[in-house]
Amino acid sequence: MKKNLSRIITTIVLIILSLYFLYPTYKDYTLNKELSGLSGQDSVEFVDRNNKELISARDKRLKLGLDLKGGMYVVLDVDVVKLLEDMAGKKDEQLSGILAEVKEISKNSDELILETFKIKLREKGLNLKNYYGEIRDSEADIESKLTKEIDNSLDRAVEIVRNRVDQYGVAEPQIQKIGNSRIIVELPGVSNPEEVRKLLEGTALLEFKLVYDPQKAVKVFEAINKVLVGDTTMSLDSVSAINIPTDSLKTKNESLTSKDSTKNSAASKKDSLTKKNLSSTNTKDSLKEKKLADNKDSKKDTSRNKKDSAKNTDTSITATDTSTESDTSKAQLSEEEFKAKYPFFTLVQLNQESGTADGYVKDSDKDKIMRILNRDDVKAIIPTDLTFAWSNKTFDAEGEKIHILYTVKKDAEMTGKVVTNARSNIDPTNNTPVVSMEMDSEGSSDWARITGANINKRIAIVLDNVVYSAPVVRSKITGGNSQIEGMANVQEAKLLEIVLKAGALPAPVQIIEERSIGPSLGEDSIRAGISSSVAALILVALFMIFYYKFGGSVADLALVINMLVILGVMASLKATLTLPGIAGLILSIGMSVDTNVLIFERIREELGAGKPLRTAVDLGYKKAFSAIIDSHLTSIITGIILYQFGSGPIQGFALTLIFGLLANLFTAIVITHFIFDIMIEKGKNLSFG
Amino acid sequence: MRIFENTNYDFLGKRKKFYMVSLTIIVVGFIILFTTKSIPLGIDFSGGTEIQLKFDKDVNISELREAMDNAGFLGMEIKTMGSDKDILLRTPLQEEGQLVSDKIQQGIKAKFPDEKFEVLRLDKVGPKIGAELRRNALFAVLFSLIAILIYLAFRFQFVFAVAAVIALFHDVLITIASIAIINAIFPNLRLEFNQSMLAAFLTLVGFSSNDTVIVFDRIRENIKLFKNENILDVMNKSVNSTLSRTIITSGTVFLTVFVLFLFGGEVNRSFAVTFGIGIITGTYSSVFVASAIVVDWKERATALLKDKTISRTKLTSQKVKKVNA
Repeated sequence: MKKNLSRIITTIVLIILSLYFLYPTYKDYTLNKELSGLSGQDSVEFVDRNNKELISARDKRLKLGLDLKGGMYVVLDVDVVKLLEDMAGKKDEQLSGILAEVKEISKNSDELILETFKIKLREKGLNLKNYYGEIRDSEADIESKLTKEIDNSLDRAVEIVRNRVDQYGVAEPQIQKIGNSRIIVELPGVSNPEEVRKLLEGTALLEFKLVYDPQKAVKVFEAINKVLVGDTTMSLDSVSAINIPTDSLKTKNESLTSKDSTKNSAASKKDSLTKKNLSSTNTKDSLKEKKLADNKDSKKDTSRNKKDSAKNTDTSITATDTSTESDTSKAQLSEEEFKAKYPFFTLVQLNQESGTADGYVKDSDKDKIMRILNRDDVKAIIPTDLTFAWSNKTFDAEGEKIHILYTVKKDAEMTGKVVTNARSNIDPTNNTPVVSMEMDSEGSSDWARITGANINKRIAIVLDNVVYSAPVVRSKITGGNSQIEGMANVQEAKLLEIVLKAGALPAPVQIIEERSIGPSLGEDSIRAGISSSVAALILVALFMIFYYKFGGSVADLALVINMLVILGVMASLKATLTLPGIAGLILSIGMSVDTNVLIFERIREELGAGKPLRTAVDLGYKKAFSAIIDSHLTSIITGIILYQFGSGPIQGFALTLIFGLLANLFTAIVITHFIFDIMIEKGKNLSFG
Repeated sequence: MRIFENTNYDFLGKRKKFYMVSLTIIVVGFIILFTTKSIPLGIDFSGGTEIQLKFDKDVNISELREAMDNAGFLGMEIKTMGSDKDILLRTPLQEEGQLVSDKIQQGIKAKFPDEKFEVLRLDKVGPKIGAELRRNALFAVLFSLIAILIYLAFRFQFVFAVAAVIALFHDVLITIASIAIINAIFPNLRLEFNQSMLAAFLTLVGFSSNDTVIVFDRIRENIKLFKNENILDVMNKSVNSTLSRTIITSGTVFLTVFVLFLFGGEVNRSFAVTFGIGIITGTYSSVFVASAIVVDWKERATALLKDKTISRTKLTSQKVKKVNA
């Protein structure tokens, strides 16, 4: 009995766990069903109301592959030929002729393109040196440089693609780097392939844009707030409560020159830090001339200033809190009243002490903000030279992702084409990551003019309309060599390097495989597949009861538990269920039925030989065991190998098969056996047909 | 209720006849396959562009063909899927970017300006990808066969492992041959080798090896139980005692697949047909290929042993003679 108890507990835990992991799938289904019943404003409100639930259900539900749900699957290949052309120091007809040949050959060959290129060059009596590298470089050097550049271009392409896909607003996009030149992009539910194609294959645009004057930007925010409230007679008092205190702006500007004031403000900010437990990884980046980096004094300054500003953002992202502190008239406003009076500032929170107009927006509010900013009455009051841009990075606070909403000048000061190189490394003096950026001569003079005119202002580095960094200009940068510091970690610096290089050298990609499945086809196939599978399953279940009587009904129970566990495991591992996956499911169901048939046939044999029920059941399990183990292990080993060596569809098959067989082993050996044991112990006379 | 209880068929005595049956099907099927190319490669493996459209109204296929010819796609493959509203267009053409699918759609719009249609599915596979998928699938299947061989060699005798793998090869070949024959008889079905047929092949290999292992398990058990009996009798006994289980399991799985074939829609059809054939041949091969090979091997081994003992006794008697001389 003790043995049975532990089996019962394991079984119940397993079932509860499976149900727990499948619950979000059910929740997602019901929420979406409810949503599809609504239309227009109602559905918008429903989404707003249930945003968190919707997001979390969508995140945890059992994922269906594109073949079942519809959507677009694209394989991108970095266009190495194009890259070689772009990188060439001089471009002549001979080179383009050779590259055209290389392209033709590469279509049907597995040889590395660089190798083919080298061979073709040699045939013409040329080598890499004729087109790439500098005079003193050896051929091997150039080759390794080119190889590295090709490898890097994949990272760049991935970042560009990710950035664009994120902006396109597809739910659950999947972007995967495969090997050293491929990217797989999966976009569920996308029904406009042409648009996506353009999005993916287009050239990336890197721009430098001035961050909008914070005071003016806040005024714009206030105006938007007014539109939202519909109240044009809002009192000036309360408006100024949200306004950034000019004092704090001044302190900010002085912090470069006066060490004391920095210390003071840092000390005072520590106080407020203890009050609010908001953590933020967001730091303010600063941009300064590389020459200056050698000057130790200024380095100390900036690093202290950076620490300061890091704390600065730490302190607060809630306009509500800071304003209650700074303004007594505001202190009387309860949270509800604040929400009613300042709907926009409830969604977009400003950090007054930072002296910026960067808005902090919760992930669940982002869609709402986008809708507000797209309203015609809101658009009408936004200055024509201002545009909004989101940050690429988010940070966590209050258990949610926070985005930063930047206000930048609509027209770019300059594009990233002038960037010739970018490199991220660690500043040895204070062990912080920095990114250095070089520009060509034409770019350098523009850069000097722009930085000179905007000292202590911020310039945003914008790739395809997403802000990757918005450093403060510390001084006029004349040589074209700039250094950006203030990144939170090495990864962030690396990412900035990739982004800056995207300006210098685009990463051309081409679509080599594309599958788009209309949502209706996906629905049809899933509906047909599921309903026929269920029908078949019911038939099999009825047959089992008919043929094996009580034994059959226990086997059916095992089958149901089996399915539950397989799907539960799939959901908990965030695996994707595809059409070949369903094939694997069918095979494992077949084997589950088979396992029970094997056992029951053995029990019947033993009963036929005149053994008592209890002995017959035990012997039946015992004798069937070796066959069950061998057949399952053979299939599991096969499954593992298919998963290891197969590609997409084969892997989907292998995955469900492996889970199915493991679940099957458990239900067959443990669950059904103890059910029989308990029944026999209770003195029931079991029938195996 | 019981079916096939205490049967005593002589399955393995007639194994030579069944070898001929299998061989005939494979030979005929492959002759048809190579002469008529009756299993087309789906674009998953061949590369090309495939577009599935749903029109609002029935479409005249010959007019559609004309439209395609005008658009520069001479001899494009056009196929209806169930009704004349659902059209599948396919071309092995490869061009830069999306030109092919765009051109196809423009061509249709030019010819039928009033007809509305929806793109249900669009697949474009580059030739490199197709070749890669083919290679990956081949390697995956080969490696898994090797793994099965090694595992079974450990758990059974080596000859069993070899026989099981030969049976798996047999099943794959029989299924390919049968599809070739089915396609030749029912050209409308047009089963093609695509990803879902690949999934079916993987499934049938899994099913067949399961079935073989279970028959072998019983043989392994009975060989120990009836040490002194003739190997043919022991194996026949084993096959007969697993017969009931074999029929029920294969029958229920076949039932499932049959329902899928009837109601599963176009997408699942090629899977259902392929796996359905696989269930039949997988069950058949456990007895008439895998077990039969073991019988042949064992009988030959005993015969060889006999030969050896005979020749040895001859030798010794000669020696005795020599001594005597």
